[in-house]
Amino acid sequence: MTAARIEQIAALQAQLGQSGYVVERDLAATLLLMADLGRPLLVEGDPGVGKTEIAKALAAARGTTLIRLQCYEGLDTHHALSEWNYQRQLLAIRLAETGSGSLAEDDLFAPKYLLKRPLLDALTQEAAPVLLIDEVDRADEAFEAFLLEMLSDYQVSIPELGTIRATAIPLVVLTSNATRELSDALRRRCLYHYLDYPSFEKEVAIIQARAPAIGDRLARQVVELVQALRRMDLKKRPGIAETLDWVASLLRLGISGLDEGGPELIQDTLATLLKTREDLRAIDRTVLDRLIASAA
Amino acid sequence: MSALDEALVARIAGFVATMRSNGFAIGMRESADALTAAATIGVGAREPLRWAWRSLLCQRADDWNRFDDLFDSYWMPPNRKAATPSKAGGAGRAAFDEGAGASAGKPGPVLRLETGEEGSSAPDAPQAKDGASAAAALEQADFRHLGDRDQVRAIEIVIRSFAMRLKRLRIRREQAAASGARIDLRRTLRRAVGTAGTPGNLVHLAPRRVRPRLVLLLDVSRSMSLYSFFYLRMARALALTLGDVHVFAYHTHLTHISDPLRDDDPWRAQERLHLLSAGWAGGTRIGECLAAFNRQHAGRLVHSRTALIIASDGYDTGEPGLLGSALGELARRARLIAWLNPAKAAADYAPLARGMREALPHLDLFAAGNSVESLQAALGQILEAL
Repeated sequence: MTAARIEQIAALQAQLGQSGYVVERDLAATLLLMADLGRPLLVEGDPGVGKTEIAKALAAARGTTLIRLQCYEGLDTHHALSEWNYQRQLLAIRLAETGSGSLAEDDLFAPKYLLKRPLLDALTQEAAPVLLIDEVDRADEAFEAFLLEMLSDYQVSIPELGTIRATAIPLVVLTSNATRELSDALRRRCLYHYLDYPSFEKEVAIIQARAPAIGDRLARQVVELVQALRRMDLKKRPGIAETLDWVASLLRLGISGLDEGGPELIQDTLATLLKTREDLRAIDRTVLDRLIASAA
Repeated sequence: MSALDEALVARIAGFVATMRSNGFAIGMRESADALTAAATIGVGAREPLRWAWRSLLCQRADDWNRFDDLFDSYWMPPNRKAATPSKAGGAGRAAFDEGAGASAGKPGPVLRLETGEEGSSAPDAPQAKDGASAAAALEQADFRHLGDRDQVRAIEIVIRSFAMRLKRLRIRREQAAASGARIDLRRTLRRAVGTAGTPGNLVHLAPRRVRPRLVLLLDVSRSMSLYSFFYLRMARALALTLGDVHVFAYHTHLTHISDPLRDDDPWRAQERLHLLSAGWAGGTRIGECLAAFNRQHAGRLVHSRTALIIASDGYDTGEPGLLGSALGELARRARLIAWLNPAKAAADYAPLARGMREALPHLDLFAAGNSVESLQAALGQILEAL
């Protein structure tokens, strides 16, 4: 049984790797457990480590749709769950008044007048989709309570239509940037995973998966430099997306090593890595020369 | 179920109970799911089980970091250590118990409190400065006396009255209310639409009630070891009474201790603080810790209604200038910065420590606060300033 499990974990790792997402064995094991236990997954970590990418890669690996709900302050059920199409209902009433026949009240609340938003969409899919609830810490506590209710039983009740149960239980991934403390009840409901910045080997693997045209030497130099930048006291540390952008800009320059072409060339591309004025000023010529020298 | 299966289930249940007693919030459903996971994955290999239980039983980043050690300590062969006995006492003189600590197998001397003269404000303050070294010591503080009854009661009385006065604070920002001193013209005219243009119902403006936020930064290095417990008790009383209180402890680095301190159960609070207390009572790098606080937490916590209370003696063994610049940045953001220095209780105190001199220009309030009376006076002054 354990050997079969280890094989399953390796298989999921390979599948996700094919979609371009390099995942470690513990996260792959957690994703399997998610499907077994039917619990949502809460992923926390610094910005830019690839929390949102997990859901995208999981949807690609399983061949299902990805449904995304982006949370913000003041998000309520009208934008998240469903809303009645008031204009269409008014139009139907008007048409019934002016001419063709009567309109029963039940017809007015038929499913064709219901605008489905992401959560209801996720519950009514035929094949189990992947539901990504992004930055759930930005929504307020009332919305969290509603989410908790939905995630516990995977059913919602719409007043005019009654209770709607999930046809296939979706795989739910929640991400959080820890700007606000999430309620304990929501945390208890979910599996938890803390995503840290990747190790050296993992980041090289990610670059080679996403940008196969890069040479091995340049990839290692790039990762060395970016990891050194992360250890420095920057206001906004570069994440994996920034690394990939920088790799793309370096590939356009056509160099095969950071020490080619001169530091001015590299400094021009730094805008992909450093996103604030203080950071750009902090990494001036001398610092950049030192970093390139230690990375090469 | 065979006897082997029963034994296995009992052991897993024991593991869940151990995690629960270590501060992990695990309910019935989670423990049932832990057993289901073990059944699905199989108990042959340790790692898949570790990953599955880690994602199931952890709920936040702190749990995540602690899980591996607890897992290993339960499932791996035991490593038995005897606990050192401690003498009862209040905030007395701290001593280094070389003998007892070494025999019990703990790494290094054990910091322990013994009864001594209380309130003798540090006459050996200059020597304490030599004692604080730049390297972090491998000591673990003894938190058994965090709940010392009499002193805690006295502190709680002071804090309770402070909290009540704090809750009644109002600020100048106004909001609509049924009655108040001024009339809100905009809303009154809007309401007048309903009564054909004549203002029948008046809407008033009343000052909005806002509770200020308190952030406490407590120095727990060796030079402050006489007073750390007092300030910790004060912080605990504040955290339990008021809602918006955040407490950090620092010596060579900064640790967030609001959650363990706020725990209702004093034993559990003690355990959690114990786990965080590695390296306490070492040397102090105030400037670096304040800079780290600026970087990691100030953006989130410090706003214009925040009162920042720093409890330290000002002996900084880090780089010069860092403390001043960090405090300058904080002074721009916070409403009030108060510094509680126990050495100030001495009549002939003059700020000789470099850290203290750097900090003084940025402080709004500089007081002693090392005994219950001076604490009351300091809190009163903070209230007036807020």
